[in-house]
Amino acid sequence: MLSQAVVKRLKEIVGERNVVTDKVGLLTYGYDGTLLSGEALGVVSPQTTEQVVEIVKLMNEHDIKLVPRGAGTNESGGTIPSEKSVVISFTKMTKIHEIDTENFVAVVEPGVINFDLQVELAKKNFYFPPDPSSFKASTIGGNLGECSGGPKCFKYGVTRDYMLGLEVVLPNGKVIQTGGRNFQSEPGYDLTRIIVGSEGILGLVTKVFVRILPIPRAKKTMLALYDKVEDASQTVADIVAAGIIPTTLELMDNLLINTTEDFTHAGLPRDAGAVLIIEVDGYPEDMDGQVKTIGEIASKIAKEFKVAQTAVEVDQIWTSRRSAFGSVARVRPSYGVNDITVPRSNFPKAIEGVLKVAKDFGVTIGVVAHAGDGNLHPLILFDQRNKEETETVHAAEQALCMMALDLDGTISGEHGIGLVKKKYLDKEFTPAAMEAFRKIKRSFDPSNRFNPGKIIDL
Amino acid sequence: MSNVNISKLKGIVGDAYVIDSPSEMAKYLKGQGKPAVVVLPASTSEVSSIVKLANEKNVKLGVGGVVVDTQGITGGIAMVMSRMNRILEMDHLNLVAVVEPGLLHKEFLLKVAEAGLNFPPEPYVVETSSVGGCFAIGDSDSKSFEYGPTRTFLLGFEMVLPTGEILEIGNKCIKNVSGLDFIHFAVGSQGTFGIFTKLLVKLLPVPEAKKAVIGTFPSMHKANATFNTLIKRNVHPTRMNLINASLAKIAKPETEGQLVIIDLQGFKESGKNIANEVASVLTLGGGSDVKIIEEGAEYDQMINGWLKVRAELNAKPERIVEFVVGPMKMPQALAQLEALTGDLGAYPGIIVEGLLGYVCLALPEGTDKLVLATKVNKLAMSLGGNVKGLLGHKLKAEVYNDAEMWKQTTSLLSELRQQFDPKGILNPGVSLEA
Ligand SMILES: Cc1cc2nc3c(=O)[nH]c(=O)nc-3n(C[C@H](O)[C@H](O)[C@H](O)COP(=O)(O)OP(=O)(O)OC[C@H]3O[C@@H](n4cnc5c(N)ncnc54)[C@H](O)[C@@H]3O)c2cc1C
Ligand SMILES: Cc1cc2nc3c(=O)[nH]c(=O)nc-3n(C[C@H](O)[C@H](O)[C@H](O)COP(=O)(O)OP(=O)(O)OC[C@H]3O[C@@H](n4cnc5c(N)ncnc54)[C@H](O)[C@@H]3O)c2cc1C
Repeated sequence: MLSQAVVKRLKEIVGERNVVTDKVGLLTYGYDGTLLSGEALGVVSPQTTEQVVEIVKLMNEHDIKLVPRGAGTNESGGTIPSEKSVVISFTKMTKIHEIDTENFVAVVEPGVINFDLQVELAKKNFYFPPDPSSFKASTIGGNLGECSGGPKCFKYGVTRDYMLGLEVVLPNGKVIQTGGRNFQSEPGYDLTRIIVGSEGILGLVTKVFVRILPIPRAKKTMLALYDKVEDASQTVADIVAAGIIPTTLELMDNLLINTTEDFTHAGLPRDAGAVLIIEVDGYPEDMDGQVKTIGEIASKIAKEFKVAQTAVEVDQIWTSRRSAFGSVARVRPSYGVNDITVPRSNFPKAIEGVLKVAKDFGVTIGVVAHAGDGNLHPLILFDQRNKEETETVHAAEQALCMMALDLDGTISGEHGIGLVKKKYLDKEFTPAAMEAFRKIKRSFDPSNRFNPGKIIDL
Repeated sequence: MSNVNISKLKGIVGDAYVIDSPSEMAKYLKGQGKPAVVVLPASTSEVSSIVKLANEKNVKLGVGGVVVDTQGITGGIAMVMSRMNRILEMDHLNLVAVVEPGLLHKEFLLKVAEAGLNFPPEPYVVETSSVGGCFAIGDSDSKSFEYGPTRTFLLGFEMVLPTGEILEIGNKCIKNVSGLDFIHFAVGSQGTFGIFTKLLVKLLPVPEAKKAVIGTFPSMHKANATFNTLIKRNVHPTRMNLINASLAKIAKPETEGQLVIIDLQGFKESGKNIANEVASVLTLGGGSDVKIIEEGAEYDQMINGWLKVRAELNAKPERIVEFVVGPMKMPQALAQLEALTGDLGAYPGIIVEGLLGYVCLALPEGTDKLVLATKVNKLAMSLGGNVKGLLGHKLKAEVYNDAEMWKQTTSLLSELRQQFDPKGILNPGVSLEA
């Protein structure tokens, strides 16, 4: 419980309506994209950097921890309140300060929803390349907190690559600026980079300078259907070997084809073992050549290959992919999203590994993957109310992580570590690397005030 | 006197690779400092042993690819990485290479090209820069608009920490958000977090076609105006560079006037059309001798000319001032700059990287760098930019009258450095105070 005095002070700082302390109100902030939950002492929603500074100082005085939160869609437990903490929600900091297309930069507050920024940018024929499938709900602050990926990373990279500068409130309540409006403004060390992906444990981001790009002049979306998932991964390898850099190489297996069909009726054949969505973009005159090469490569092994002819067809394809996570909820009440990545060459082995885990543990797993990146999201379907089943699922999740590490991969390609994967972190990193993380955390936050218990313990 | 234990060093790397006679040391050193010894390790474990030794005895240690900057290491050790110059792996399936840090950047580029792949970062100082140095400096360059800055190409590394411990991190996955991002944070740390001993580098397929369009202009303003036209027309070449008359001859002998080099890497079909579009924009914009270069050797020669100019400037960081503004703000920037520098064409050196909005000035003899940088920073700030890097931050804080922020930033930087290097032995010449 927060003391009356603290609540009063918080209300003075951010306004009456922006402080939540009642049980029901707090409940919604106790969850995120995972199945975990926790309870905060309170939730406070600042609207300005100055308010954030005041909140940090106040919390420090009372030795209360802060848990930063955007839309709370993360899949790592990164916003689950732990210890004695107040949630600082950035959903009221939603201003787009500036969109400067001539100079390829936009300046936004962290609570801006990715989609809202895209809509504003699209009016000017620009876009912000990072677009996690959750982009209709997730915030820029959350995207940078996790260093989110999405379907375009093979060509365009991840959130890290589009962060030019940040305004950050440090755990001591001081404000710094990292980077600026260009690539060349980091102060000695690349502070922007260490804050991106730090899941709120180093600083609170209150302003973001992002790099924006003109929408490519042309784009082609293709669909290839396969009998087996392995066949699809062969196409992926062959496309890369041919020197083509598609924006997208997304894969869904038979289970996902069926669950998304139930949902979208996009017309994918339900008996297909896998579908690969391939997209290239660039100058119009280069499209035909690339589509032809890809068609030849895919047709060697795919049972069907087609090029989307209309915007509606493109939309349909993407609706299927974007609804993948949600669609499985019709099959079983709960699902666990996994996020492992392996070197591209080990992708077929990772698929085998997933099948083996499903068999060994007797669980149902569907696979969505950013195949070009070697990033797999095995979705394990189960019923959370069944305790025993839930435990089996956790064991299977651990097995998936270990499988990825055995294949020289990582336990997180884009969803982060948070609470969920913290326990496996030292399986991926040597003691020296773990200690490097702690050195960094200690430099920023020696008293462990921001998002304590996430990623690492001090 | 020095605490360096020469015989122990010899025990680590062998007699032949410990050099302490000043005349023989000279070719490995630059700057005014006087290290006691040059040592050339051949392996990670040797690097680690040397660093441990230095750490025990509290000896300063500077590191370089083939030549070590001696600032701050008088009486200490200069570690030259050039014996660790192997490419350990070239992995076509995953588009990555594993490289030792002492390999020259330019040699790495050749090897990568031979393998039919592409490593976009430009060498910093083409003759001496090493792959380790490339990531230790971690800059952006004139290709960064298209390919991203240097850090984009690092997926992992092995590093000897200032305590001698060996840290390995990263993997061949192009997407990896596990743990804190020490991988990219180490890029640009200039050897203060540790010494790279192995680098896991991301590569790309080679572009299908490469072309360049060049032209000369009577003034910097006219030349730069064509860049704005191209950006407005939604043309974003791989490089869009401008070199003033004083430096242009280094890039291309006998050039009269300011030289524009537009590099187009991409596909055959669009390449043809864009080259034509660029050539006509340059011509209409007042360029003469506008030429589309298609032939490979001539193309390479032009790009090497550019790299020579870049090296000329980068080799003397204390004699250059660099700033950045939004690319479309460049006309105002150059107009205002002229008030400070006089005729831009005649200034000792000015280059513009058009897509990055970057300008580098080579200062005339006798110019006070800080005074000029302060003025240039004001100018750049009025156009939404700033002087580059750490110095820029300091100057910005001065303009904002925000000593607090500057203090906060530098204390964070030095805390980080201290956490990694409690005794302050590695690359002490690198200042984080500007
Ligand atoms: C259906 C679905 C699809 C998804 N698809 C993808 C996908 O394709 N790719 C992908 O990468 N992820 C995906 N995700 C995961 C998730 O959406 C992303 O991690 C997203 O970026 C989180 O944004 P958020 O606003 O919800 O952040 P939150 O979940 O609220 O926070 C994420 C992290 O950032 C921190 N944080 C938030 N704001 C700030 C701030 N201002 N300052 C400092 N720290 C802050 C939080 O403490 C937390 O650690 C998906 C999730 C769902 C539910
Ligand atoms: C303050 C200052 C003063 C300078 N004074 C002079 C001068 O008087 N004369 C002169 O000629 N040049 C000077 N320089 C220029 C500078 O030393 C180099 O020319 C420039 O850094 C490029 O070096 P390089 O790329 O050729 O060398 P590289 O050997 O590739 O090194 C570049 C940088 O990376 C670091 N580095 C190299 N290898 C590793 C590794 N394996 N692990 C970690 N770090 C590594 C080096 O310490 C160096 O900082 C100065 C630079 C600075 C910053």
